[in-house]
Parts: sequence; C-alpha cells; structure tokens
Amino acid sequence: MKKDKEFMPKILAFLCNWCSYAGADLAGTSRLKYPPSILPIRVMCSSRVDPIFVIRAYLGGVDGVLIAGCHPGDCHYQEGNYYTRRRFAMLKKVFEETGLDKDRLLLSWVSASEGQKYAKITTDFTNKIKNLGENSSKDKIFL
Amino acid sequence: MSKTLKINKNPEQGVIDFLSFLLENKKIKGVFSLKKIDKEGSVAYSLITSQKDLEDAVPFYPLMPVNAGKLLSRFTLNGPPADLVAAVVKPCELRGFVELIKREQGSLDNLLIISSTCNGVYPTKLGLDKTVEKNLSKYWTAAKKGEILEEVRPVCKSCEEFVPYNADITVDIVGNNDLDKQCLMCLNSKKAEELSKGMKGDFSDKQIDSKKIDKIREKRGAEKKKLFNEIEKKMNGIEGLIDIFGKCISCHGCSKVCPICYCVLCEFESSDSDYKPSNYEAELKIKPGVRVPQGTLYYHLGRLSHIGISCVACGACDDVCPVDIPVSMIFKKVGESVQKMFDYIPGKNLEEKIPLITFEKEEFSEYED
Amino acid sequence: MSNLKGAIVSAKSGTEKTIIDILRKAMDKGVFDAVMVPMKVPAGDAFAYVLVKDKNLLTDASVLPPTMFVQGAKAVSSITRLGKGKMKIAAVMRPCEARATIEIAKLGQVDLENMIIISIDCPGVLPSSDFLKNPEKKIKQFYEAANKMDDTIMRPVCQICDKSSMISGDIHIGTLGAKKDTFFMISNTKKGEKIAESLGINLKDNLDNWQNKVKTISEEKHKKRKKAHKELKAKIGGINNLVETFSHCINCHNCMRVCPVCICRLCYFDSDKVKHPSDDYLDRAKSKGSIRFLPDTTLFHIGRMMHMSVSCVSCGACEDACSMSIPVAQIFSMISDETQGLFNYVSGRSLEEPIPIVTYKEEELHQVEDENE
Repeated sequence: MKKDKEFMPKILAFLCNWCSYAGADLAGTSRLKYPPSILPIRVMCSSRVDPIFVIRAYLGGVDGVLIAGCHPGDCHYQEGNYYTRRRFAMLKKVFEETGLDKDRLLLSWVSASEGQKYAKITTDFTNKIKNLGENSSKDKIFL
Repeated sequence: MSKTLKINKNPEQGVIDFLSFLLENKKIKGVFSLKKIDKEGSVAYSLITSQKDLEDAVPFYPLMPVNAGKLLSRFTLNGPPADLVAAVVKPCELRGFVELIKREQGSLDNLLIISSTCNGVYPTKLGLDKTVEKNLSKYWTAAKKGEILEEVRPVCKSCEEFVPYNADITVDIVGNNDLDKQCLMCLNSKKAEELSKGMKGDFSDKQIDSKKIDKIREKRGAEKKKLFNEIEKKMNGIEGLIDIFGKCISCHGCSKVCPICYCVLCEFESSDSDYKPSNYEAELKIKPGVRVPQGTLYYHLGRLSHIGISCVACGACDDVCPVDIPVSMIFKKVGESVQKMFDYIPGKNLEEKIPLITFEKEEFSEYED
Repeated sequence: MSNLKGAIVSAKSGTEKTIIDILRKAMDKGVFDAVMVPMKVPAGDAFAYVLVKDKNLLTDASVLPPTMFVQGAKAVSSITRLGKGKMKIAAVMRPCEARATIEIAKLGQVDLENMIIISIDCPGVLPSSDFLKNPEKKIKQFYEAANKMDDTIMRPVCQICDKSSMISGDIHIGTLGAKKDTFFMISNTKKGEKIAESLGINLKDNLDNWQNKVKTISEEKHKKRKKAHKELKAKIGGINNLVETFSHCINCHNCMRVCPVCICRLCYFDSDKVKHPSDDYLDRAKSKGSIRFLPDTTLFHIGRMMHMSVSCVSCGACEDACSMSIPVAQIFSMISDETQGLFNYVSGRSLEEPIPIVTYKEEELHQVEDENE
C-alpha cells in the first residue's frame, strides 16, 4: 500500500559477514542514526553476490542496491572482494548500456570497526535515491 | 616468418585438395567441415573420414547453421581424439571454442584448426530455399573485394574480428583479388608446416596484406557504429527493454545455440528461478498485474551479465529466435563495452584468463564508494 | 460430456466485452481473486498472458488473441507448479491450452485446486511469424477470418483441428450455434457450476444448438484431418524421407522447450547420455564415410515422439518456434493421433483418465505380442 508520506526508499544491502555486516551491527549498537531504508542481507563474502541477484532485485522494484564488503586486501577469504569489484564494475556497465539506472547501485568497503562509515554511506545513498525517486520497475507488468 | 602454401585453385577446392592429401597419407584421421548432406544441397557440419565424402565438403560456405565452436566443444568434451582431426571453422566459431576451452569445455589437442578471413554468413533461414545457392557468386565477388554484403547477418556486417586467432592455417579470402584461382594458406604453426610437407603447391614467405585488412576493418567499424546507434536508440531504459523483449516467448533458444552458454542446467531454468505462489502474491500487492511466465527481462539481463564478457558476436542467437528479436546486436554492443573495460578480446589469447576470474590489486576505484 | 450444463448469455456489446465484464464482476464478488488472460504488450507486436489482480486492467485484455506466443498451459504451470496459492485464479485459454493444462496436472506440473480453467470455442490461431510481419494488419485479418470461420490463415495444425470446441476445464464459452448477440456459458465441473451460480447465471438452457454445430464442424474437420495425415505420412514416411524432413534441423530444441507437455527440467537429449567421446564419433564416421555433426537429429525427434506423443495436444507451438520451418507440429500431431488412438485416449480430455503409459490392463494389446504367446 503506497502511503502519501515522504518517499522512503527500499534499499537492498548485501553485507559480508566478516566486515560490513559487523560494521552495520556496530552502527546499531552505537545507536548511530541511519534511515530505515536498508534491507540487509548477510552473505559470507561480498563475492557471493551474483549480478543476477542485483538484477532480480532491481526488476522486482527495489529502489537501490548496496554491496558492501571488506576493504581490498582484507578479505576474510583473501581475494573475494577483488572479484566483487570487477563484477560490480561489469554490472554497472551493463546497466549503463541498457539505459537502466546505474546510479541505483553502490559498492562500498566497510570494515567491522566502521560503524560510522556504514551510517554515513547508508544515509548518503538513501538521500541520493530519494532524489532519483521511485524505481519505475515497480509498476511494470511486462517484465 | 611463417610460411605460406599457395594452391592454384579457389579456396574451397584448394583446402579440399589439402585435406584429401592429409587423409590419403594418413596424417589426419578425419575432417570436421561444412558439407552438402543431401541431394537438395542442405548444408550441415559433418565429421568426414573418407576422401569420397570429402568431395561434398563446402568448407567456406556462407552459412553457420550451428556455431562450430560449440560443436568442437562437444566433440572434445570427453577428451581430445586419439589421432589428429582437421577442422575448418570461421573466426568467431574459433573464438567461441577458445572461450569454451578456458571454461574447461574442450581442448585444442590433436586438432588441426583451419580458418580464414571471413566476409560473413547469411541468416540460416536463407539456406532453406535456394537463396544462398543462387547468391553464391555474388557472395564471392563481394568477398574478393572485401565489400560488406547487405544480406549477411548484422553482426557479420559490423565484425572487426574477421581475422582468426589461434588457427594453425589461415586462408586469405577477404579482399583477395585472385580468389577465383588462388588458395593462399598461411601456415601459422609448426604443426601446419610439418603436415604440409609433400603437398603440391608453391611455398613462399608471402603474408596476408595487413594494410588491406586494416582498410576492410575500417569499413566494418563504420557499419558497426551505424548499427550500434540504431540499437542504442531502442535500449533506453526499462521501457525500451520491455518494448524490445515484449514478444519474447522465453524459449531460451538464444542461450541453447550460444557457444558461451554451456551450463547443462541454466540458472534461469533451475529451481532458483521458479516462482512460488507467494512470489506472485507479493508482486500483485504492488502492481495491478504480472506477465506470466515471469522473468523475461531477468533472463536476458542475467544472461548479459553472465556471458557478455565472452560474447563473440557470432549471431547464432538472432537466427534461432522465433520472434526476430535482435539479440545478437544487443549482446554485441553490451558485450563489447564490458570487454573493453578489461581490454579483453574473447577468444584471442588462450592463455589470457577470463577477466572475471582474475583481478588487479588496484583498479576500478571509480566504482568504489 | 454428459454433465454439461449451460446458459445462454446475452452479449449485446460483443462476446469478448461481455466475457470481460463477467470476469470483472466475478472479481468484484470475490469469486476469483485474479484472472490469467492474454493482453497486448506495450509495443503492440505480441500478446502475452498476464495475471491480473486489478480488474481495471481487464479493459485491455483479449480473451481470444490472434496469436499464441506462449502455450497457456506453460503460463498456468509457472503460476502453480509449486503448489496452490491463496488466490483463486481463473485462466482463460484456448481448448488445446486447457487440455494441455489438464494433462500436465496429471504430471504434477499444475495444482488445479485454486485454478479455474475457462476455455472458448477456437477458430484457430495465426502462425507467429506471419503475425510479426504486420501485427496491426494481422489482428484485423484474424478477427475477420474468425467471424467467417475461415481457417486458411491459421496454423496448419489448426486447419485440421477437430477438437477446437473440446471441453476439459471448468467452464467453456460456446460461440458456435449461438444466436446473434449471445453465447453459451457451459459448465463442465462442479466447480464450474458453483461459479456460474455465484454469478447469478442460471445453467438451465438447452445446449443442442451448440452441440449440433460443434458436431458438424468437428466431423468435417476430422475428415480433413485424416486426409491431411494420409498425405503427410506418404511425404515423410520411411527413413529416407524422415532424414530429409529433418535435414535442416539445427538441434536447437526450441520445439521441445515450448512444448507444454515436455516438462523435464533436464531433457534426456540434453543430458550426458548423449555426450560421447570423440573417438566414438570418429568410429561412427568411419563406418559410413562421414556423419553429420552433431549426429542423431532424427533420433531426437523420434525419441521425443516416444516420450510425449500420448500427451500431445496438437497446439502447434513447436512448429511456430522452429527456427528452420520444419513442420514439426503436423508430424507430431499425426503420430499422436495414432498413439493416443491405440489406447482410446485423448490428451487432457479428463483429469480422471490416467496417461496410458503409466497404467495398464492385465489383458490388452495382444495384437502387438508375438502370436505364439
């Protein structure tokens, strides 16, 4: 049911278990404020994220997708996030070429101690999405 | 400098003579090539072991009923042949095969790969009646001059990778003025040189004229720009994609004929992509209706993200589509833009890893937040 | 067919509009929660099934579209293969699609509990490739032809279809034999009866006019069918003709994938069983001088016939999807008549009838046993 209040985006956040999910937890326990737009999904490593997860979410109507992992060089599994970065770059290019909203995708590195960073990027991203408006896939019947 | 072997016949006859020589002297056990398979003149890839059947081979026929790279992968999937087999394939088919080999779906061992510079193939439907046969001389005239034929596949008209990589032997076809009576075979590998010993013909150090190739590549590039502009206009966001793929019937033919799509159980046909009633019920809470079966755009965008990095733009997808969606041009455009990010040409270098399974420690910082 | 009950429905605004109105009313009353019905896609070059929840969308629906891009049974299966949902859904389809739905329900691919299958007398459907040449013009042509009962522009298998009014679902719309500005609403099941009741439709009218017209047309079509099959058999019968017929086949398997009754997630002919070592292929080539590669094209088609012909509904989806214009539907349809006839079976005719190859009688088919048994 669409409310007539201000648009609160739905942002799917893939958070890696060892760094960014912990970072998000820290933001919570530190009582840092960030918008209720984030729907977190914990993955063991950011490289678990198949581009098709993002595509399915986007076509399903989420307003933004965030992928967060450990900083390059600090991946719990040594190299996962390097692959994440390449895959994400490729996915953004696919979005760009097909005219989809590539600005609704964000890749960020958040370590377990970066509760503040998590709160900041989610707040900034939510504001960015608010400016972009709702994802028009929401009302598309012939997807 | 690698040697060249010149046979004074047209390329098809020259190659057939060469293959016949190899078969007769038991240097190869079989030949993989396009062949006329019946009285009607239907053309299909065949595995040929007798010199008599070799007479019906049409190695450079301008049709590609199936991407031969996919066939070579099937042929070598359970291991290479025990003895040498020669295969005549087109440049994009060879590139497709190399991309499959990188994915452990085949092997170049014990294969003698013969390819040529390519002036394109006709859409497979034109092979159903006598259209291709009737236009053969027109085709070869255009090939001789290096001109783009209007009737060939759009991806062929705009193909800049028409010189094969990784072939043991490359036959000079496109822009070769003496095409009617000259089969010029560049012997690129030691294997090719060894096998050619004893073959009747003129050996020299002549090479394919690279300036001529560059000129032809320029023309193809101009055509590519034109076709890319056309398709770009259509790919303008979600509405554009819905318009392009609206008539898609989800037959997945494009995936099945694609040389790069090798997954036995495709993600988009697996239980991962099944829609439960709860999925529908949830979707119908936010929109007035949903198209069924679901997941048309999801499939195409997903396939783009999975194989775009290796798309060799052969055009098999276009031909198999029952509703004439311009899949090949979409995949060529998006595929090339993704490949350019990594300076990657699919199928060029067998040792070069597929970009998505390797990395640099510092790169693409513009994509990080 | 003895439990058919019918009502003559007044349709002054046209059959399609009236049916849409009835569907809308049914949704209003909560008889259905959603309707699966064909709609034109935004680009206007195709019709696709849409699961409609908002009845306002129904104004753009088309109950009998000129094309069948996706076989309705496949659309129903995508909704309810993994079980019934909370919503009661009415699916409006052609008779062959309804039959395919019933058939694959027997194969566990459709849960019929919350589905209501509605079919409609079918004038045939256009081949997709023809339609795509000029969609707007073809839509007009289709309805003109349908009104005149002219099937020459329809799929080849439609032209010889003798089951275009066969009822296998819950409700059927009978347009044949109906007086001007009316149609018959016919219920075939208790479910169908209840729905008609809840819509205030009194199923007490005489169906003779419809049944007689259907009988006449179906007998005519049956004769045409037999003749066509005889000619086809002569044309493609025997190993040489078969190989030639399938000589252009590129093994894309589109026919198998669009077929509503080909339900295997991994088809035998895509599995490891048909992937042989290179030397096996070379040995085969040696024995003949050469073989097509990949070989076994004819094997795929005959094999598919063996596996699914008892369930074939002759819809023609396969022929539409064939990228090489092979008359697959005509061939499979002809074989299916024979294999189904062997068991006096009609695919999808009734949910209670088990598929012949998963059942048996202890005494039967002695004609195929060795006479010394």
